[in-house]
Amino acid sequence: MKKLKENIINFLDNHMPIVFPAPAMITLFIVVIFPIIYNIYMSFNKWKIGLGSPKFIGLQNYIEAFSDPRFWNGLKVMFFFSSLSLSLEITLGLLIAVYFNKEFKGSNFVQTIYIFPFAATPVAIALIWRIMLNPQIGVLDYFLNLVGLPGSLWISDARTVIISLVLVDVWKWTPMIVLIILAGLKSLPKDPYEAAVIDGANAFHIFSYITVPLIQPVLITALTLRSLDNLKEFDIIYTITQGGPGIASETLYLYSYKTAFSFFNAGYGSTLIIIVFLLVLLFNVAMNKIRYRTEGP
Amino acid sequence: MFTTIVALADINWRQFEGVEIRLLMNKHPFTTFIEPKLPEFEGKTGIKVTMEVYPEDQFRDKRLIELNAGGKVDGYMIMPGQAKLHYWKAGWLAPLEGYMTDPDLTDIKEWDLGDFFAGPMKGARIEGHQIGVVINAEASLLSYRKDLFERFNVKVPETMEELEEAAKFFHKKVVDEKEMIGITLRGKDAAATSQFVDFLYSFGGSWTDEKGNANIASAESVEAFKFYGKLLREYGPKGATMYHWAESTSTFMDGTAAMIFDANVFKSLYENPKESKVVGKVGYTTIPAGPGGKLPHVSNWSLAVSGAATPECQKATWLFIQWATSKENVLGSFLSGVPAGRESSWNDPAFVSTDKTPDWTKGSLDSFAIGQPQWNPPVLNVSEIRDIVGQVIVDSIEGKDVANSAKAAAELMNKKMEK
Repeated sequence: MKKLKENIINFLDNHMPIVFPAPAMITLFIVVIFPIIYNIYMSFNKWKIGLGSPKFIGLQNYIEAFSDPRFWNGLKVMFFFSSLSLSLEITLGLLIAVYFNKEFKGSNFVQTIYIFPFAATPVAIALIWRIMLNPQIGVLDYFLNLVGLPGSLWISDARTVIISLVLVDVWKWTPMIVLIILAGLKSLPKDPYEAAVIDGANAFHIFSYITVPLIQPVLITALTLRSLDNLKEFDIIYTITQGGPGIASETLYLYSYKTAFSFFNAGYGSTLIIIVFLLVLLFNVAMNKIRYRTEGP
Repeated sequence: MFTTIVALADINWRQFEGVEIRLLMNKHPFTTFIEPKLPEFEGKTGIKVTMEVYPEDQFRDKRLIELNAGGKVDGYMIMPGQAKLHYWKAGWLAPLEGYMTDPDLTDIKEWDLGDFFAGPMKGARIEGHQIGVVINAEASLLSYRKDLFERFNVKVPETMEELEEAAKFFHKKVVDEKEMIGITLRGKDAAATSQFVDFLYSFGGSWTDEKGNANIASAESVEAFKFYGKLLREYGPKGATMYHWAESTSTFMDGTAAMIFDANVFKSLYENPKESKVVGKVGYTTIPAGPGGKLPHVSNWSLAVSGAATPECQKATWLFIQWATSKENVLGSFLSGVPAGRESSWNDPAFVSTDKTPDWTKGSLDSFAIGQPQWNPPVLNVSEIRDIVGQVIVDSIEGKDVANSAKAAAELMNKKMEK
């Protein structure tokens, strides 16, 4: 008995680099790596949930995707939604962060209040926005009418639905960008600013020739972090429009969810999600390349 | 002789004493009614029932995942028009006709199969097999503000032309300082198809033709799409493309719409003084007749036995279904607000003497009598095809070229239909 105990202790001592991370690695394998591998495997299969077993069909799902008009629609919506919301969030985030970086009376209070949208549960705020964006009973149309502007159909019109969703996304996530950029601004060296003031630079010059270049690595980090979520935005879009009207706001991510869980095509659904996964990966590799170029590895 | 009569009139309800069954239920008013009565069934049969109840969306997911995983599910609720083909092909539905006619398992006289409405029961049949017993019957009705129709002397629509005229008359009319909406309907893509189908049929259109190919681009079907879209575009609420039943019924209950066409079950909302401003002001009638006639759909929730359960559990579950759909229980749930699938409930003095909306009763019964049980496209992938059809409804509301949109949708439908 004593010997067995010693043996176990000896084994643990000798294999510490394997034993200690093992629980974490096993969990990671079960909840992350295995599902990804299984997903990739499923993407080469045809499988209607409940009807028989998965059948291997090679690349057929991928070929189908490229001739599926709904796939291209999803890609277009995803591109339009993400490029618009990400660029607005970064631009507004930078401007607001620069403003918050100055000391003013009550700045702490304003900053705290400003974090609220970011801290709120996405589904809860999406439900409220859904009511506000309703042209019949929503408050947004009421305000537009108050200032003499014509109302909008917002999410009920295929032409304005994505812009309306971008509005919600920007409202919710810009505060996160502000937080990241603000942290970056606080750590910037003071000397270049002092030198610029002595040289007679105005506020615009300081912003565009000193702040922006210095803060660029932080901007890229913020963009990378935000894009990870934004490219697979689900909760806000699903809660507000479910991809409608029709498929006007159906991103590729949403389409893959519907394919798997409403249409029960687990194989094709996996294919679509793998394509989303590859696109997100590609975008992040590109962002990393840019980051290395600006600040070195 | 006496014993023979007793044997014929009753069955041994305790033949599966000690058996445990597990049921998956949708959070439906019928479930709310039956769940507290389970101890009565358990006492009567000695069968132990585990009933799990989930809100509708989760319920559908849960049911699918559990049946697919092969866990212990002995019975469940199903909307046959939505899922029967898929579930039947997957082997998840047990045929019930054998049980229904087995004198050892069914108190044939007391349970009285002939008392159920034929349309909904037909909806729960597939390939000649009965796969469910209806627990409610649902049809859609035109509900209108009878106070305003009387005040302005407007005829209650009996044809589609009259429907449009009435909608036109009330739309944007200021009544008691409030600007009215002519009519409210579901406009949200796939969700709208379950109401649009009544227009489709009444205009002479159909989901598929005799050969089983998509028929949504036929001249009659296109007319139906155009009419439905025009009603919403010209006389409907703003932003109708996002209108599910919740938005549509809210608009009507708020008192801003003169008419609504939606499921008859929503009477319980319109007539609820806590939620509605139109209590006692609503009249009910069947769908107006179109060029193809007056052809509403009729749908239902049913109770089914899992095809994958053990024979003993299947039979025990059948006893549960027989008990839950007895005349007494169906009447009880009817009086609590679930439109009954049994004729006797509608004729029962307990209902007739307290019926405050006889026009609703008449409209519902007339619709059940002529109702079409096939209210969804007759395919396996119902949701996917409903999405495709829903796009045409949205395009029509937005005033796009309906014929082209329907043609594109029909092509896509032919490509995607699974049977």
